[in-house]
This record gives sequence, C-alpha cells and structure tokens, in this order.
Amino acid sequence: MTDPILLRARGLKNSRSLATYQKLGGYSALEKTLSMTPAEVIEVVKASGVRGRGGAGFPAGVKWGFVPRDAAKPKYMICNADESEPGTFKDRELILVDPHMVLEGIAIASYAIGANTAYIYIRGEFVDEARILAKAIAEAKRKKYLGEKILGSGYGLEVHIHRGAGAYICGEETALIESIEGKRGLPRLKPPFPAVVGVFGCPTVVNNVETLACVPHILEHGGAWFAGIGTERSTGTKLFCVSGHVERPGVYEAPMGITFREIIEDLCGGMRGGGELKAFIPGGSSAPVLPADKIDTAADFESVAQAGSMLGSGGLIVMDTTVDMVWALENLLIFYAHESCGQCTPCREGSDWAVDIVRRIRRGYGRPGDIETLHRIARFASQGMTICPLGDAFCGPIASFLEHFGHEFEEAISKASSRTTKALPILPVQSDREMFGI
Amino acid sequence: MNETMTSPLVVASPDEVTDVTFDRSMEVQIKRTLQQYPDSGAALLPVLWLCQERWGWISRGIMEAVGKRLDLAPAFVEGVVSFYTMYQRRPPGKYLLQVCTTLSCQLCDTSALVDHLRQRLSIDFGETSGDGLFTLVDVQCLGACGEAPVIQINSDYHTDLTVQKLDALLDRLAGQ
Amino acid sequence: MVTLTIDGREITVAEGTNLVEAAAAAEIEVPTYCYHPGLSVVGQCRICFVEVEGMPRLVTACSTPVQSEMVVLTASDRVREARAAVMEFLLENHPLDCPVCDQAGECGLQDYSVEHGLDSTHMVDERRTNPGRERHLIGPHVVQNQNRCIHCTRCIRFATEISETSDLTMKSRGNHSYIDTFDGRPFDNPWSACAADVCPVGALTVKEFRFRARVWHLEETRTICPGCSIGCNIMLGHLNGVVHRFVPRENAEVNGWWMCDHGRFLAEGLERRTIDVPLERFGEGERRISWDSALVQVAQWLREAPQSLVVASANLSNEALFAVRRNLIEGARMDVIVPVNEGKTRRMKNGRGLWFSSTDAHPNSAGARHLGLATVDAANLESYLRDDSSPVLILDAHAHPWLDSEGAAAITANRRVAALARYRTPLVDTASIAMPLASWAETDGTFTSSTGRVQLARNALPPAGQARRAWEVVYRLALELGIEQERAMTTRILFAEMAAEVAAFSGMTWGRLMAEPGMPVHEEVLGVG
Repeated sequence: MTDPILLRARGLKNSRSLATYQKLGGYSALEKTLSMTPAEVIEVVKASGVRGRGGAGFPAGVKWGFVPRDAAKPKYMICNADESEPGTFKDRELILVDPHMVLEGIAIASYAIGANTAYIYIRGEFVDEARILAKAIAEAKRKKYLGEKILGSGYGLEVHIHRGAGAYICGEETALIESIEGKRGLPRLKPPFPAVVGVFGCPTVVNNVETLACVPHILEHGGAWFAGIGTERSTGTKLFCVSGHVERPGVYEAPMGITFREIIEDLCGGMRGGGELKAFIPGGSSAPVLPADKIDTAADFESVAQAGSMLGSGGLIVMDTTVDMVWALENLLIFYAHESCGQCTPCREGSDWAVDIVRRIRRGYGRPGDIETLHRIARFASQGMTICPLGDAFCGPIASFLEHFGHEFEEAISKASSRTTKALPILPVQSDREMFGI
Repeated sequence: MNETMTSPLVVASPDEVTDVTFDRSMEVQIKRTLQQYPDSGAALLPVLWLCQERWGWISRGIMEAVGKRLDLAPAFVEGVVSFYTMYQRRPPGKYLLQVCTTLSCQLCDTSALVDHLRQRLSIDFGETSGDGLFTLVDVQCLGACGEAPVIQINSDYHTDLTVQKLDALLDRLAGQ
Repeated sequence: MVTLTIDGREITVAEGTNLVEAAAAAEIEVPTYCYHPGLSVVGQCRICFVEVEGMPRLVTACSTPVQSEMVVLTASDRVREARAAVMEFLLENHPLDCPVCDQAGECGLQDYSVEHGLDSTHMVDERRTNPGRERHLIGPHVVQNQNRCIHCTRCIRFATEISETSDLTMKSRGNHSYIDTFDGRPFDNPWSACAADVCPVGALTVKEFRFRARVWHLEETRTICPGCSIGCNIMLGHLNGVVHRFVPRENAEVNGWWMCDHGRFLAEGLERRTIDVPLERFGEGERRISWDSALVQVAQWLREAPQSLVVASANLSNEALFAVRRNLIEGARMDVIVPVNEGKTRRMKNGRGLWFSSTDAHPNSAGARHLGLATVDAANLESYLRDDSSPVLILDAHAHPWLDSEGAAAITANRRVAALARYRTPLVDTASIAMPLASWAETDGTFTSSTGRVQLARNALPPAGQARRAWEVVYRLALELGIEQERAMTTRILFAEMAAEVAAFSGMTWGRLMAEPGMPVHEEVLGVG
C-alpha cells in the first residue's frame, strides 16, 4: 500500500515534537486554511468524502455544514478522544505518535465552523496522553499555531483539555457534551442536534480524533486526492486496530476497502499460533459479529454493512476456534450493562437482563425460552426504542451471535441441568390466554 | 510503557478530608480551570480530578467543599461523582491495580493474571491488600487492546503482561 | 393554533403542545411515567411511544411537539408492541409488592399493565434489589423502597425544579442507579411529601399514610388546606368517619400540583376532639348541658351586659363570618374582633412557576377583612381581653396560638366566657360554657386566600356527635337574642345572600365555585386588607 499518512511519524525519533511535525510539513495546511474562507474549507472536506471514524461514519464535511453560520452564539469544536469502544485503540496511537496532527485538525475544523474555543474530551484513563496533548498545545501556542491571532491572522483559538472519568457512554456526542457541562453523562434527546444546540446551549461539532487527523492532509493535498484513496463512498485511509488471536496485534493504516483477510494475514501475520479463524468483530464490540466465511469482506462502510455488520471504529477483534461464543457474548454484555447510563427503560433493564440470561446459559442453567427472550430483548432495546445507540450497541451483538453461533447456545441449553437453583423463581411461562383460552 | 516506574498514590486519611478547604495553590488551579468555561458548573469534573490528585479519593467533605466552591448542590455533586467510575469513594491503597476484563484482554488470557493476583494478594476485586499496598479493581476496556493483557496501575498502562512480568512488577512496586 | 389528526380525530391545539397533551385534548390517553405537566420533559421511560405518519421510527409523545397536518396513531400494532415491551422491561425487576404496597389503586404500573402490558413475563431470573433500601425512611415524611423504583426521575426533578432544594439525586448508573440524598442526610424540605405524590409507583410513599387504608376504599372530598392563607386546593381522603390524608389537587393559579408538608399533615390532627358535648362550669367542676340550655344561657348574658365581645376567627368560613356580621354586629350591636396570626413563612409555587409567600397562618383573614370585620394581632387580642369584665363569646377557641396559653386562661378567669372548641385548652377548661365546634373536615364554606381568590371547601364528614358549625351556632344564638330570621338557613343560601350584599363577592355563585377552581374577588375590593 501507499506510504502511511496518519501514522507517517510512527517509529521516528521524537515523533511527537513540533519540530518533527514541522519537518514533515505540519501546520502548512493550517496556514493554507487561514487564506481560505470557512465555507471553502467545508467544501474541500465535503469533497474528500471523509466519514466519521468514531463509529457512526457520518460525513464530516456535511456535519460541519449544519452549524448555522450566522448564529449569534459562540460556536464550539469538540474533539472526541473518549475512545472506550472495546477493541478500539487507534486514537491513543495517534496521540502517542503525532499529537500535533490532531491539533492541526482541530484548528482547521474550528476555523471552518467559526469556533474560537475547542475542547478535547479525553477519557480519564488516558493520563499520559492528556499530558502529551497539553504539552503539544503549549508548544503550538508558542509558535502561534494556536492562541490569539494564529499565524498573524485575525483568527484565534483556545484549545482546552477536559478529562473524562470512566464512562464509555460519554463517547456519545450528547453525553459527552453533558459531561463537559459538569453533569452525569446522560445522552440528550435529539432533536435538537448539537450543531444547533450543543455545549452551553451553543452550536457545537463533535468529531473523532482520527477524523480530525485526516483533515490537515485533506487541506494540504485537496479533497479529490483523499477521495481517490479507498472506495467511492468510504474514502481515504483508515486506522485498523487489530486485537485478539492474531500474531501481531496493533494499529495498521490501510486504504478503505482492504479486505479483512488481507488485514489479518498480511498485516498481522496471520492467526496466533497458527490457529483457525472462527469469528471476527469488524468495528469495535458494538458491531455485529461475523463468521469466518466473511473474511474476504472489504473493510469499508458499505461492504461491511452488506455483510451484516458495520465498519464502526475499525476495531477488529479476532477470535479463533478455541473461543466459546456464549462466553464471549456474556463478556460483551457485561460491558454494556456496566456502561449503560440508566436513563431509559429498555437499555437499563434489558442490558442487565441479557447478562443474566447468557450467564445462566453459560453456567449450565439455560432454559428453552431463553433464546427467544434474548431475541425479544434485542428487538425492543434497539431501533429507536432507546434514547441513544447504546441500546443498538448491545442488541447487535445479541442478534448476530445468535444468528451465526446460535447452535452453541442451543447446545448449552439442551445440556443444561434440569434442577433449578434457589435463584430461579418458579413463574408461569404459559400465558393466561393460552391456559384459559381467553 | 512497561519501563515506567509507577509512583504510589498519595492518599489522605478519612479524618483529613472531612472539613476541606482549598489552599492557595489549589485555588489558583481552580481559578485557571474556571476560565476555560463560560459556565462554572463545567469545572466540576476537572476540580474533582484536582481533589483526587491532591487527596487520593473523593470524600463527602470534599464533595461538600466542591459544591460550595462551584455553587452546586452537594446532592448534585454526589450524583456526578457516583456516575463516573474513576472517582474513588474510599481511600485506595498505594497502587490501584485496574485490570481490564473486556473481550480483547480476555482473549489474551487475562484471566490467568486475575487468578494470580487474587492468589498472590489474597484479595478479590474491590478489596485492598492487608498491607495497604494494592487495591484490585476490574475495569472495562482500557483502549490498548493491541498490547493485551493490560493493567493500569495508578496513571500508568502496563501492557503485554504475563504472570512473570506482573510478579516482577509487583515486586518492584512493593519494594519502593 | 395547530390542527392535527390523532387516531382519526381532528384536534386543534396551541403551538408547542406536546402529543401527550394533544391526545388528552382529543380525549385519548397516552400512558406516561416520566412525563409530568409541571416538570421538565426527559423522554426517558419510553412508555409514551406513538406512531407518526411519515416518520420511520416511533416517537415519544411527551417530547414531540404538534405540527400542522400531523397524523398520529396512538394504538397501532407497532405502538402496542413497543408499549408492551416497555411494560415488560419495567416489570422485569419490579417486586410483586402490590399486596403490601400503598400505591396500589393509584399506581402507574398497575394502571397501564392491564391495558398495555402482556399477561405474563419472559423473566425467570433474579430481580435486582437494593438491600437496605426497601423500607428506608429517606426523610421525616417519605419512605423509600428502591426496589420498586422505575427510574422516572420525577422526584429528582421535583426537588430541583419545584422545591428548588436539589436534595435528591440519582447515584451510580445503569441498572444499579438509585435515588438518594447527599450523604444519606434526611430529605426534609418543606414540600418533601410531594415527591411521594409524583412518584408513579410505591418507591416513595408517605410515611403517615403507610398501611392506613386502601385508596379505592377512600372517599375523596374536594376542599382547601387550612394551613395558611395561600389556600392550596386539596383532596381529603376519608373512610368511615376517619380522615386519612390530604393530597394536593391541581390548581394552576394557586398551588400547581403541590402542597407543603405543614398543611398536608394537618390532616393528622383533625380528629383531635375532647369536647363532644356542651359543658357548663359547675362549682369546682363541670357538667354536661344541652345545646338549648347553653345557648339560652349565653343569650341571657349577652342581653344583660351593656357591651359584649365576640372573638371570631380567621379559620371560619366567609359564610360563618357573614352570619356574625349580620346577626351579632348589625343585629345585636356587639364588638367583634378577628385574631390574625403572624406565623411561620409558608411558600408555594403555582402551576405557572410563580412563588407565593404567606406569613398568615389562617385560611380566611382576607375574607374577614372583605366582610369589614376588625382584625387584631396577638398583642391586641390580649389587651382586648384584659381589664374588662363584659362577657366574651369565643367562636373558635383555637383561633390563635395565644388563646391556647395559660395566660389567656388567667386573663379570662373572672369573666363569663362561652367558647366553641374541639379540644381542651386551659381557657376552655376555665370557660363558663364550652361547646363542641365542628372540625375543618366537617365544615363547608368559602374561604378567601391572600391573593383574593374565593374557593370552596366542602365537608367530608357530617359534624361528629353534638358538634356544630360556627354559622349554625350564630344563627341559633341570634334566634335566642330575638333577631328576626326570614328563612331557614343553609350555607348555600347564606353565600347567595352574602354575594348579594357584599361587594367582594358580587357576581359569584355557589354553582360556579363548585365548577371552577375558585374565583377572584371583585376588583374594587382587592385593595382592602
């Protein structure tokens, strides 16, 4: 593949320093940006087709365009560095390798939407990473790439770091906004959308770290250049995070459209210890699981959706044939139940309920109605039943694990002990209507 | 990341954090933080972090003091503190062992590390070892899955762990 | 105004109305839990889903404003399925407490289960519980059972937006979240029991009402709170002659959906009665007499004395005070004073978010003033009673806290005192004649709030035993005094005559007061008092 773009500085000595960044041409895109109008900048980004790399895949340029230009209130740019989706670790890599690239992206995006204040919302666990960013911000300010009158222009931008404190849900943009405002990270009802009513009631754009890291390159080389990489509707390169049962897990940059086989076999050295692929989750744990026979699927938004999953954050979790899929689903559901904010009924109740059922199946106390109940939960805690997509995030795994590996669940249930434990209350499982024919 | 020597936490005793007042240096930091937001309520998470860095955990005295300082009801402050898992509600040991138990780490055999820790320290998740050195907690995905298994000790990520590496690490920490 | 169609019915409502209210205007009920007309909209419980033509997903009615030409379906198959699923999710961890839960009979889960839920559950696992929070006295008046909580957050929003005390919060997150106060301190703001009112289930219940009665057995009477001059509208719940509770009744102008704890728990003292028959001081003790004997004696004292004093009460209704004015002032030329009490400050927020304050502990001081009666405070009350030997008729021995005191008894010891009372006080014990007075629950009449609003209080119970209402006693006494009466009297007729004669009430009718949430006094009179 072509030379890396986002990870070009990986392996270089002092890759994080401003000097290294400048040597590689850093901040020239920002300079170019300041000579353009914000509307022109947005057009370039739209032309690039770059889609959000946090998981939602929404075209960034279009999102920027939603900010009402003549709104009286100040605008805010927020960089989402909450990166808590299991299997995802690319934003951390970017910050560790090239924080200035992220800052330049933030600056260009802020200019485009008319914001003079930007926040980097970074998950609380990334302590070192927050320090690295703070240091980079200070460096950039000294060289007038940030702060008042950037590069002698009339445009100024203050970038502040706001640390989270242990909540995956704060990666959802409205929950993130609530968290910045100093509240419990509860997602908001939409509409209104953040571009109109966001943080502090003002127009706000929230973009993922990787998305913003693409921006300087897009401004430097043009939208058409970026759109020429990858596929027609999934443009540019993507950072794929590979974890689990591969020889060389890690972050790999490749053009959109590379197949998962190529990622696993060529980039990661194949399955760990020569094992056999059983299943893989293509885009972070919220993406539906795919069986091994989908390995030739292209890693772009459309192809993965067609295969029955989603590209999401690009966090590829690889599982070999040693994995018990009932155990794996239980592990994922524990995550979602732990992270559910608790606001809305289907997610708050359904996530915990699903854990209970799958745990019981794994421990050998599965019951005949369990799979049907899991399907029911998955159906009614997704597709708009909940306030935010966390419902869909745990329902997708339930549905896909049952679809592709349902036989493992059925087997566990059929082998289940027929004795009930104290924990299982005896409740009627036949409805009155059925019993009494009413 | 593995070569960093993790610093022990500085933890205030419960008595020290009942009637809390902010000293000059904390006030300077709080004021600086407030300037970053148009609304003082937004300083809540950063100020709570400042308090945790200073005292090691968030006591009710700290919550009251923060509420007063930022003009927030103490019940509101407690609601926020209890939502975010990283704010410690009880004094932790010197080393907070935050073990990732989510899928990618589990696929790389983190359960062996967990069993070993339980055995070596004679504690379970949520408990502190008798010598007050190590507190063991299970946490969700730490975002370093490519270097699994991962344990965060205080602020530092320790990655690509094996039982041997973990033992050596704990020995070094205990010896500090 | 916006016109839209709901379940085939065309309805026109104000712009900005949400679909729950719009459906209600079309007489269609959309189930709700987290939604409350007096609190902010959060759209959390997800029970109020409706289908809107043209929108791919169901929407929550509470958070969706009406739009012109909208076509809404509240009972389509999709909606029914979604609602049944949400009901199942809500009941999944909810304990089967109905037999021991006070909320039964006015419980949102019970009400909507039947119509919108399934008739069985798929749940066979263990319910999550909150040990230690199953009968937790979270405040002096509120009992918490966190197992029953459906996390609608109405209680938190009440404490933040209405009482503005922010003393409740949600702690932890996900399915482990629970309601609590800061540091476990008591939940004791002046309106704390309203949190139990807004709780749709039995997670928060009123301590004083615990296990007292099943709500479907209660008779409920529309009346007014006697606690202060704000005049919150209430429902008085009673059964077999026992008053079991006050709960607020909606009145947008006066008290919104709320009432304060002080007023609410006056319900507990209503049965207090230790004077049930007329009594006469006889030597060192007392003896029972008949009403006739009592009134004949009192009339005689009043006729014989050159001047007599009547101590009325701002706890008495407009009708009772009008009876006093007509018969005792105009008819018998007596001095009448009405003690008014500067008490604790009471505050109430109405349905428009406006605060009202009152330091007047009586429900009808304004009425007394509009009727032209002389109001006096405690200091003056004492001076009226001291250094005078004329007979005094006290129409309500509990009219003012000072009357309950030893001092009041001492001052009146050498005078002829006739007092209407419910329970014994030093003054009542030394009164020449004590007569049983009907309680608030046994009285009907109108009362004028400090904002000049005339409201109707209906009686829940007939007077117990030989107790009489104040206006009846005044009329019987008037007959004994030889004052001509044209007709037999009822409170309704008394009110009509008062409305005809007194400017403040002109234009009012009893019928309108029954139908409307109170009426403002005539404008010209508002400046008085």
